[in-house]
Amino acid sequence: MNKILVSPSPHLHTKTSTKSLMRDVVIALLPAVVVSVLFYGWSELLVLGVSVASCMLLEFLITKYMLKKPCTLGDWSAVVTGVLLALNLPATTPWWVVFIGAVVAVGVAKLTFGGLGQNVFNPAIAGRVFLLISFPTYMTDWTKPAGFISNAAVDAYTGATPLGLVGEGGVEAIKGLDYLDMLFWNIGGSAGELSAIALLLGFAYLLVRRVIRPYITLSIWGTVAVFSGIFWLINPEVYTDPAFNLLTGGLLLGSIFMATDYVTSPMSNMGGVIFGVGIGLLTMLIRYFGAYPEGVSFAILIMNSVVPLINKWCHAKKYGR
Amino acid sequence: MMKTFSIGGIHPCDSKISKDCRIEVLPVPSKVFISVAQHLGAPATPVVKVGDQVKVGQVIAEPAGFISAYVHSSVSGTVKSIGPRKDLAGNNMTHIEIDVEGDEWVEGADLTDTLVTAIPEDNKEILDRIKMCGVVGLGGATFPAHVKLCPPPGKKADCLILNGAECEPYLTSDYRIMLERSKEIVVGAAIMKQVLGGCPAVIGIEENKPEAIKAMTAAVSELQATAKGYDGISVMTLRKKYPQGGEKQLIDAVMGRQVKSMGLPIDVGAVVQNVATSLAVYEAVQKNIPLVTNVMTITGDCLPMEKQHNYKFRIGMPLSYIAEYAGGVPEEAVKIISGGPMMGKAIANLDATTVKGSSSLLYLTAEQTVRGVESACIRCGKCAEACPMGLEPFLLNKYARNNMMDELEENAVQDCIECGCCLYSCPANIPLLDIIRLAKGDVIRIIRGRGQK
Ligand code: SF4
Ligand code: SF4
Repeated sequence: MNKILVSPSPHLHTKTSTKSLMRDVVIALLPAVVVSVLFYGWSELLVLGVSVASCMLLEFLITKYMLKKPCTLGDWSAVVTGVLLALNLPATTPWWVVFIGAVVAVGVAKLTFGGLGQNVFNPAIAGRVFLLISFPTYMTDWTKPAGFISNAAVDAYTGATPLGLVGEGGVEAIKGLDYLDMLFWNIGGSAGELSAIALLLGFAYLLVRRVIRPYITLSIWGTVAVFSGIFWLINPEVYTDPAFNLLTGGLLLGSIFMATDYVTSPMSNMGGVIFGVGIGLLTMLIRYFGAYPEGVSFAILIMNSVVPLINKWCHAKKYGR
Repeated sequence: MMKTFSIGGIHPCDSKISKDCRIEVLPVPSKVFISVAQHLGAPATPVVKVGDQVKVGQVIAEPAGFISAYVHSSVSGTVKSIGPRKDLAGNNMTHIEIDVEGDEWVEGADLTDTLVTAIPEDNKEILDRIKMCGVVGLGGATFPAHVKLCPPPGKKADCLILNGAECEPYLTSDYRIMLERSKEIVVGAAIMKQVLGGCPAVIGIEENKPEAIKAMTAAVSELQATAKGYDGISVMTLRKKYPQGGEKQLIDAVMGRQVKSMGLPIDVGAVVQNVATSLAVYEAVQKNIPLVTNVMTITGDCLPMEKQHNYKFRIGMPLSYIAEYAGGVPEEAVKIISGGPMMGKAIANLDATTVKGSSSLLYLTAEQTVRGVESACIRCGKCAEACPMGLEPFLLNKYARNNMMDELEENAVQDCIECGCCLYSCPANIPLLDIIRLAKGDVIRIIRGRGQK
């Protein structure tokens, strides 16, 4: 023993670090990544590779040369953003569009606000929404590229997302969709939405590892189910049913992985519920009455901006007060 | 459903490595240095002079105020010097140095093992003995025990809670006395309960100590069957969660009541005493033995099993003497803690001596205790989720760094119990408690200053 260390209590520290939490999110995303690569093949690998690499490169260059802050590449948050952004795009997205998405996500939405912890909007969602508005044709090109394996349910509905189908042809257009099939192999849409089971597996992992609390995700699901349930009961000819709404349009991906982003969601459990209900309501309003067939990304972005307000009003119950 | 406190809490690794080590009695060294500040409140005033002969258990310092306590000699011998000496934090404090000669106790002390179960009837006399024997709370705060046992006028105790939670990792001294001195602890509880007017007494023990629960339950039933005055004592199993042994948390867990901010447990009818305090009360009242010994744990992951110990020590023994006797300080240790790893103090000076409330020498390695580099708050809310007082440490941290006193007070920084759950939990290694502790001190000073106007 050389020199005794003297410092204030506590003298122990949890093994959980920012890095381990972010790495856990990446691990939770792996099932969805594997499924998407299997089904969309080389083009999905390219999207993933470009997205992750550009997010990491941008994080490195900007923190080091522009902000002149300690480099935060090691905290894995850029990897999370990269994977999420990729899973939010169609597998056919050209590489330069992916790169622009990364610039918006990491360069604009994250680092101009001061980096991890300071950003108001979820970087991956910000990137996706920017692309959706700027490059609508690429972003709604749901042709299925050749994958490593194929599945009839997936192949049968190439050309449009289920929500897109509803947008064009009404509820009639999706008659005959097998929900059980959709649980495993969703149809069309962004790469990450392919398999609900893969996403739910990730959700379970995040809960077990205590990376996230379930309140936000569950309140989104609850709200979407109740809201669409009421409308569907009133008029099933016009409105899509709850199961359909839960399983399509990136709802699972968004509610599990993006709405639960620490930085851009409320701190308290109560706040989380309000946030989740807000996202659920906005999503359904946009889907049923808005111009875009899907609404999750917009709903999350809008609710992101309300988080400071929610944090201001929702505090945990204090002992003895 | 097993009970526990309702807000926050964490689950650090238990690490009760020394739990099966029986209590051994440390031999008396050739010299002791007894501090006059072994309790919360004013340091005691020495009443012996250099050259005086003292016996074990003789008063050597008297209380210097209402909240203060008697200090007794833990050895027999000659007073060698009275003067400043460094305590474990490295601060100077008056110590009485005594050269040991023999081991002669004061008259009246009953050193036999016979269990005395008949409780004196006169409560005043009991309180007097507790006070005269220098009994203080041994759960950490070392608050003079007799003061807590005399509720102020108009307040009534509804429940005496005996704290057997020992929720800090590593520590096993309370566990050992619950196994080895179960009946004495129960007698102590019965005495305190009688003084408090006969309210029920609950001994709270965490589920991870099944043997202690068994031993204490058996002791309670046996005493209830064989002696008078033991009704209304029970053992309650608590779910394992840190800081279960925090006074406010224990009251919440056992009684389902919460102490108001800046309030005292007695405001909600609770009196909490540690099991070790109960043992000290037993020895004071039934055996006439002043508080000059206690049990401490010598432990750490870097100590081999044969060097793990639970020792009965006498106050005033140099920590270095105990460390040497136990086999030396391990190579890998970078930090030595007195107390638990969550709330204990890092020892700056191993020449410091034991006090009434000493509970451990805990060796931690660099890997265990050196904090990671601080990074940005990622707003994960884990600190708030962990806080047993329902505070928002990330927010207090922000306000404290900007000196926003009003906001700090509004967000209850003064309620922080310094349990360390927030700092423990923060993935970004933000020194939350370091900062909150300072801010809490400032805010409490402001509140007190206001009260005096
Ligand atoms: S140290 Fe204070 S702020 Fe931190 S968790 Fe404990 S009570 Fe809460
Ligand atoms: S635990 Fe640390 S990183 Fe998480 S909110 Fe609290 S201060 Fe921020």
